[in-house]
Amino acid sequence: MVEQKAQATSLGRGFWIATAVMAVAAVAGAIYWVYAPIESWVPSIILTAHQVDVFFRFLAAVGTAIYVFVVGYIVYFTIVFGAKKTDPPDAIGVQIHDNHKLEFWWTFFPTLLVVIIAIVSYLIWAEIILKPASGVVVEAIGHQFNFTFRYPQINGEVTDEIHLPVNVPVTLNLTSSDVIHSFWVPAMRLKNDTIPGMVTAIKFTPYRTGRYPIICAQFCGTLHSTMNKQVLVVEDEASFNAWYHGMQLKNAHVSNALPSTSGTIALTGGDAAAGQALFSQKCSACHALGPFDQKIVGPGLRGVLHDPKHPTLVDGDPATPENAAKILQQGFTGPMGTMPNATTNGLSDKDIANVVAYLNSLK
Amino acid sequence: MSVAAAHSGGIADHIHPEPQGFVRRYVFSIDHKIIGIQYLITGFVFMMLAGLLAETIRTQLLNASGGFVSPDTYNEVYSVHGSAMVWLVIIPIATGGFGNLVFPLMIGARDVAFPWLNMLSFWIFPVSGLMLFSSFLMGAPAAGWTEYPPVSLQGAPGTTMWCAAIFLVGVSSTLTGINFLVTILKMRAPGMTFTRMPLFVWGQFATAPLLMIATTALAAALAALFMERVFGVPFYDPTKGGSPVLWQHMFWFYSHPAVYIMILPLFGIISEVLPTFSRKPIFGYKLIAFSSMAIALLGFMVWAHHMFTSGLAPFLQVLFMVMTFTIAVPTGVKIFSWIATLWGGKIHYSTAMLFALGFLALFTFGGITGVFLAAVPTDLDLHGTYFVVGHFHYVLVGGSLMGVFAGMYYWFAKMSGRLLNETLGKVHFWLFFVGFNMTFLPMHWLGFMGMPRWVATYDPQFQFWNRFESVGSYIMTLGILCFFINVIYSIRAGKKAGPNPWNARTLEWQIPSPPNYYNFKHIPTVYGLPYDFSQPLPYTGLEDELTDSPPAQLTGAHH
Ligand code: HEC
Ligand SMILES: [Cu+2]
Ligand SMILES: [Cu+2]
Repeated sequence: MVEQKAQATSLGRGFWIATAVMAVAAVAGAIYWVYAPIESWVPSIILTAHQVDVFFRFLAAVGTAIYVFVVGYIVYFTIVFGAKKTDPPDAIGVQIHDNHKLEFWWTFFPTLLVVIIAIVSYLIWAEIILKPASGVVVEAIGHQFNFTFRYPQINGEVTDEIHLPVNVPVTLNLTSSDVIHSFWVPAMRLKNDTIPGMVTAIKFTPYRTGRYPIICAQFCGTLHSTMNKQVLVVEDEASFNAWYHGMQLKNAHVSNALPSTSGTIALTGGDAAAGQALFSQKCSACHALGPFDQKIVGPGLRGVLHDPKHPTLVDGDPATPENAAKILQQGFTGPMGTMPNATTNGLSDKDIANVVAYLNSLK
Repeated sequence: MSVAAAHSGGIADHIHPEPQGFVRRYVFSIDHKIIGIQYLITGFVFMMLAGLLAETIRTQLLNASGGFVSPDTYNEVYSVHGSAMVWLVIIPIATGGFGNLVFPLMIGARDVAFPWLNMLSFWIFPVSGLMLFSSFLMGAPAAGWTEYPPVSLQGAPGTTMWCAAIFLVGVSSTLTGINFLVTILKMRAPGMTFTRMPLFVWGQFATAPLLMIATTALAAALAALFMERVFGVPFYDPTKGGSPVLWQHMFWFYSHPAVYIMILPLFGIISEVLPTFSRKPIFGYKLIAFSSMAIALLGFMVWAHHMFTSGLAPFLQVLFMVMTFTIAVPTGVKIFSWIATLWGGKIHYSTAMLFALGFLALFTFGGITGVFLAAVPTDLDLHGTYFVVGHFHYVLVGGSLMGVFAGMYYWFAKMSGRLLNETLGKVHFWLFFVGFNMTFLPMHWLGFMGMPRWVATYDPQFQFWNRFESVGSYIMTLGILCFFINVIYSIRAGKKAGPNPWNARTLEWQIPSPPNYYNFKHIPTVYGLPYDFSQPLPYTGLEDELTDSPPAQLTGAHH
């Protein structure tokens, strides 16, 4: 036992050699991560994706270095301090309980590292999140089991592809018509959930042209795993403009106008199913599908056009589809608050016809 | 001397006569040791079932186009796999199983504080487990173990069964938490101050409040989901004014602390196994004990790191990110202390020790990848991908399950009186270790390259690594088969263990294996930490334990 006490005080040459070997391996590992061809695994197409990659390299380099030492010492100690056949069966190890200096430093250094990581990730986080909304605005709406996309100047929905001009800032508004999905573009190192009843935005500027997969990264039902067929297309300004005008022409017949707050609305041919989808995106934050008294911001709308107890709408007009369309078009402010008009709600006349058809179908 | 020691034992000192009859002894038992074994057996049976589901998953993923089972079935399979592994395997084994079996012995108690409550806790558990698996008969839950609404509102009727089953098993957890907390606070042997408690007891002590407090939030979330599915009460459906994000907050308010429920008890096991087989005191006892408490406390303040992509307010993203980073400090300190424990030891390469070493290596890996997910910039890319799947299997399989096996090879002797076979144990370890890394390491780059989780089919470019992983998982399963064979074989034909086969120093090893019904003939008195290998044992009052004399108190006197 006395002999073991003596052994305790020195770390020995083997320890330092092993440490040196580990240091070399740790540095090699860290260098690997600094130069790893991350962009050949997944291209990076927005500025912040590049920053995320730098941060990723940093974390991976530090993590690899630490891990090399952890595993290195585990293996080295396990081998060197193995009980020998020649040891008496009751041989014991060095009886050390702690070492306050050592414990101080190995609390201090991780704390320091955590502070550094926190600061770096805060800075990159600010780049990704704290951007003013600007440039091209696109809406992506999750459905079981695809995304549809809308542009402010193109009527109706654009399916399958988002086209974006290169080097122009983009604001992408996300929502869902049914359950939660997640809009993920690996090449942007960015995803955000599409949540029904909620609009969230991501902002970015693509700097590299090409076609990149859009993948749903949140389980959304039976065919969730097939929700990866759609594409983000980044192209030069001329191609983008050509595509954009083409879509405008193609979709011209979809609806006659952009959101407007005047003019009569043709209600015939309203599509209740399309209306239902719109309702869950645009109305359900304020309106429940329950009876009139079930108030969120505005009244519950179940049977709004068929409720004998409420023969008139909030504005005093009879509860007819035409008058409902008028409220949707022009908005209304009453005792409960403000019902936004068509421009604020982003409803085209066609949309209004669809929503009214849906409201009319609620009995 | 021994009489004096016994009398200072206080409330736990008198001995109840042992119940007679098979049913009272082994089925509706109130003996913490039997209940612990019941938990372990039930937990391992559920592990086989959930493991079968895991192999179904890996078999489906052999081909990019799936095809082994239908997408619907596949979704059910991984949802029940995850739910079962968390709630029916790791949590019950770590707390109800090893907790019951070991810590009352370690603190010199005759049983837990509320033995009847303990029996109730146990019996709720197999019932809820059967309920969960029976959901396959009516269309099982299929939205993953997290069951996010609104998609879980569309789920098959089995989803409602899932709510009820998890609610029940949560009740069982909560009761166990109360029971353990009171036992540790009130029933330690004289002289066992907090700073003399073995670290396994500290692990259970840190876990108990998590079981009590966090599980209640889960219960509320589940009750609401149940009511919405059955009675249409709109808590989560946004088209009726509900909020789907509400579920996420409540679910993760439980499920992040649940990670610590699944790891703190295993930290405790590692902290016992390492000193015993290194023949050395644990390094930095106080720091290990307090860091467990720090982790438990911080664990309550980080839940929204699972929700960085769920429309969380920017300020909260930063707050939860930074809070999560801080947990790296107490965790790192523990790992360094464990490694320092090895230094200068006389290390015995027992199977339990191998699993403890494997735990250190794999858990640390999971901890490091966790930082990538805690940092918002990288999480916005990696969230919801196979990177996450790889990460948490390193923590929960490479960590927790390795710890469970370390505990089994260590304490099997105490529960059965026989040793598990060491050769088969080492085969088990190496198959498991190699298979594990093959299965879960490639998931990290698959996730980065664009493979989302919870998919029945995937992009063909990922097929090679998926096949590689599936092969790994079969190897891992072979390892686990070795374990089950080992248990069945050793229970009958294993080497007799004797009271203390490992020369360990905690109290449970100073009494016969398996212990008597009443644990201790006299409640011992404790004078110090159990980890000083150069000193005599720090207990008095144990002189009669290994003799044939009957316990002094067993006179039928019974108040
Ligand atoms: C910002 C909240 C808000 C949104 C979004 C909103 N509404 Fe309203 N809505 C209201 C309020 C408030 C009222 C009642 C105003 C009052 O009488 O005080 C109202 C009233 C109405 C009424 C009249 C109800 C009655 O019983 O007379 C209809 C119909 C209606 N909204 C439909 C819609 C539809 C369809 C949408 C989606 C396109 C929608 N609202 C979006 C707030 C909203
Ligand atoms: Cu999806
Ligand atoms: Cu968490």
